[in-house]
Amino acid sequence: MKKIGFYLRIYRKILAQDLKSKMSYRADFIISTIGMIFTNIAGFVSFWILFKNFPSIDGWGYYEILFLYGFSLISLTPVQCLFDNNWSLRNYVYSGDFIKYCFRPINLFFYYQSEVFDVKGLGQLAFGVGTLVYSWIKLGLGFSPLMLLKVIVFLVTASLVMIALQNAAAATCFWIVNSFYILDLTLKFKDYAKYPVTIFSPLFRFIFTFLMPIAFIAYYPSLVILRPDAVPLLSWLSPVFGLAFFYLSYKLWMFGAMKYSGTGS
Amino acid sequence: MKRYLTLTRAGVLEALQFRLSMLIMVAGNLLYLIVVYFLWKSIYASAGTEIVNGMTFTDTLIYLVLATALFNFMEMYTVWEIGRNIQTGKIVLDLLKPMDYRRYLFWSFSGSFVTQFFFTFLPTFIVVCAVTKGAIPMGINMLYFAVSVVMAVMINYSVDFIVGTICLYTESIWGVNIMKQVVVLLLSGATVPIAFFPEPLKTVVYYLPFQSIYNAPLTLLLNSGQVLETLGIQLFWCAFMTIISRLFWRVSLRQITVNGG
Amino acid sequence: MSKIIEIQNVSKEFKVLNRREGLKGSIMDLFSRNYKIVRAVDNISMDINQGEIVGYLGPNGAGKSTTIKMMTGVLEPTSGGILVNGNEPYRNRTKNAQEIGVVFGQRSQLWWSLPLIESFKLLKDIYRVGDAEYNGMMEMYRELVDIEGLLHKPVRQMSLGQRTLSDILAAFLHDPKIVFLDEPTIGLDVSMKAKIRELIHALNKEKNTTVILTTHDMGDVDALCRRIVIIDKGKMLYDNDIEHLKSFFGSYRTLKIRVDGENSIENVRAELPDFMVSEQDEWVSVLVDEEKTTVMDVLNRLIKTLDVRDMRLEEISTEDVIKKIYEEGAA
Repeated sequence: MKKIGFYLRIYRKILAQDLKSKMSYRADFIISTIGMIFTNIAGFVSFWILFKNFPSIDGWGYYEILFLYGFSLISLTPVQCLFDNNWSLRNYVYSGDFIKYCFRPINLFFYYQSEVFDVKGLGQLAFGVGTLVYSWIKLGLGFSPLMLLKVIVFLVTASLVMIALQNAAAATCFWIVNSFYILDLTLKFKDYAKYPVTIFSPLFRFIFTFLMPIAFIAYYPSLVILRPDAVPLLSWLSPVFGLAFFYLSYKLWMFGAMKYSGTGS
Repeated sequence: MKRYLTLTRAGVLEALQFRLSMLIMVAGNLLYLIVVYFLWKSIYASAGTEIVNGMTFTDTLIYLVLATALFNFMEMYTVWEIGRNIQTGKIVLDLLKPMDYRRYLFWSFSGSFVTQFFFTFLPTFIVVCAVTKGAIPMGINMLYFAVSVVMAVMINYSVDFIVGTICLYTESIWGVNIMKQVVVLLLSGATVPIAFFPEPLKTVVYYLPFQSIYNAPLTLLLNSGQVLETLGIQLFWCAFMTIISRLFWRVSLRQITVNGG
Repeated sequence: MSKIIEIQNVSKEFKVLNRREGLKGSIMDLFSRNYKIVRAVDNISMDINQGEIVGYLGPNGAGKSTTIKMMTGVLEPTSGGILVNGNEPYRNRTKNAQEIGVVFGQRSQLWWSLPLIESFKLLKDIYRVGDAEYNGMMEMYRELVDIEGLLHKPVRQMSLGQRTLSDILAAFLHDPKIVFLDEPTIGLDVSMKAKIRELIHALNKEKNTTVILTTHDMGDVDALCRRIVIIDKGKMLYDNDIEHLKSFFGSYRTLKIRVDGENSIENVRAELPDFMVSEQDEWVSVLVDEEKTTVMDVLNRLIKTLDVRDMRLEEISTEDVIKKIYEEGAA
């Protein structure tokens, strides 16, 4: 418990400092934020064009998929905000600079990830919340504190899955020199988290549930709210899966970092 | 010419060093294609009709899958390269080389064009041919497609180079690059085929240079466009964007040399 | 004196890929690969006492960094044992990290865009340094170097010298028992080098911190180290006092001459093909072993063909001793 307090205090301080320094690159900050907004608008536009032509996908209506979309945007926020340094990992490993993280008396994973907080992820959060609330109202789902609690719990666990995916993808750079494609691929796949996993054949449903678990980013957890009469067991288990995937990815990341020996002498 | 081909060869050699990432690239690409396949299959299944906006499921599949393959093949991360070179100051060294910078950069990426072509585009193309069982017509359209792709590469490079040059002013690589990527992918028809766009938007997009990058070669391949008109428009954009990117670079470069970088 | 580092028969092996040449070779590498085992560190043993400054020397690729990485807990030795401050560094990396400080000459470990003082404050929290200790340390820093101008400057805006200075101060901030300095003066100008050396010397004296210094600059060694350890190709070549080393080469003297005309060093080399000749600031140095030839002999030979303007006679320099050892070690 004392340890958690210690880490939280350090994280808060690093975060405050990081925000301060971000403000000193104001132009970059503003342009990146606009870029993030662009990305989200473009996502919505292609979504809208798609539904202009096709009224439903696999029995899921416009507002239901919109709900999934909003859900996925929110659950992708923590990975964007808190774990963005994963994108630089392969550069640090390649240049040998990663070694500088290894000499501190605190958890290596924590120390590495704490270095960057990506503020523009919060813009995505705003989009996500807006979309979720809008589709929630349009679907007439009603409201109760229990539902809110459920949404929050399942959002948290869904975000753990995405974090796990990114950690694992980033950690491959400890073994593979040019691991950019793997990270890029996971980034691409997360765009498909907003579609129901039932569109896939059984084999790929299995892959996207257990091996590359994008189905846990929006589909399974959303079922608890969207189809409360027929919630599959996997939905209720998604918190367990979220934690398990996160733990495994953390172990993989640390294992890679420990095995890492630096390039050159 | 020889010194340019040397750059190509070096790029190929460098890419071949990373065996595992090559494998992953091929496998990842195939997995991605499978996702697109299932998604659109169920979209068409839900539509209840065979043809939507003049495109069958097979047309859409070929279109989107090859658009992705073209994207992988054309995306050379030029903006990142220029941006990083500016930030680290390496650009000064590159400017000292006895070659035009725009050309130098293009040719140093050309090696990765070659490997990407053989490791992602070609396998994808073959898989698509096999899956759709001859839905891709094999005739003179292949020639048009090839010509069109070459021009698309040049237009895409010009767009990238212009955006890269913007980095001289903005100190923000990620932001500028993501905006470019999003705009190009959406308006070129790489995410949703332009045929599906609602009417006023479709006309606007048709007059922009971006559709010449993905939409033009793919409509020619699928035999669904006016050959001469499409190639003519591409040629225009090719020349226009090349000139603009050169001019913009020259003006911006003066900026650096005056300000001392 | 108490032992702070004990290294016993330590070896470290790496698997290295043998790459083939050319385009054809690269394509073949895609399908089949062959590896070879390289011994970066080969059966090294040494003990280091609290408060020592040890110069850890060797040519590039000798295995210095690998040894340092093992002592800091980043690498696990293939065989043998290491105890740092009573801990096995690889098993207790974080515990070990609390007691050591590390500086890489070219890689800053500070937060790049933060002012130095903010980096210090973060380090204070990370290493759980008490307020009193922290203030005491800062007080000392103020006495040793002109730190005020640096404290509010972001690290990315500092010159290389200022950055190195800051990195060294940061490494000592939590009063570690051992500090590893990897080429701290690389790329610095003469006056900055002197400043850094003074700082290291003062910090070592003040806090009795053990310092392990790797460097290629014999100026660093002369200014700071009493004891040196030399390795090459992973093997230990020497471990003792510098003075002791020099006495080995007691019969050696350095003849320094100044010659008129162009290409003086080439001309001297042509005249004396069997001698070690080097050049520094217009002076050409010739290493003479007086058991074989006398200095006068050598000088006579040079005067015959060259226009020698000035001469000096010196005892063997550390630089020459090390060079001699590298050469003989390699032979």
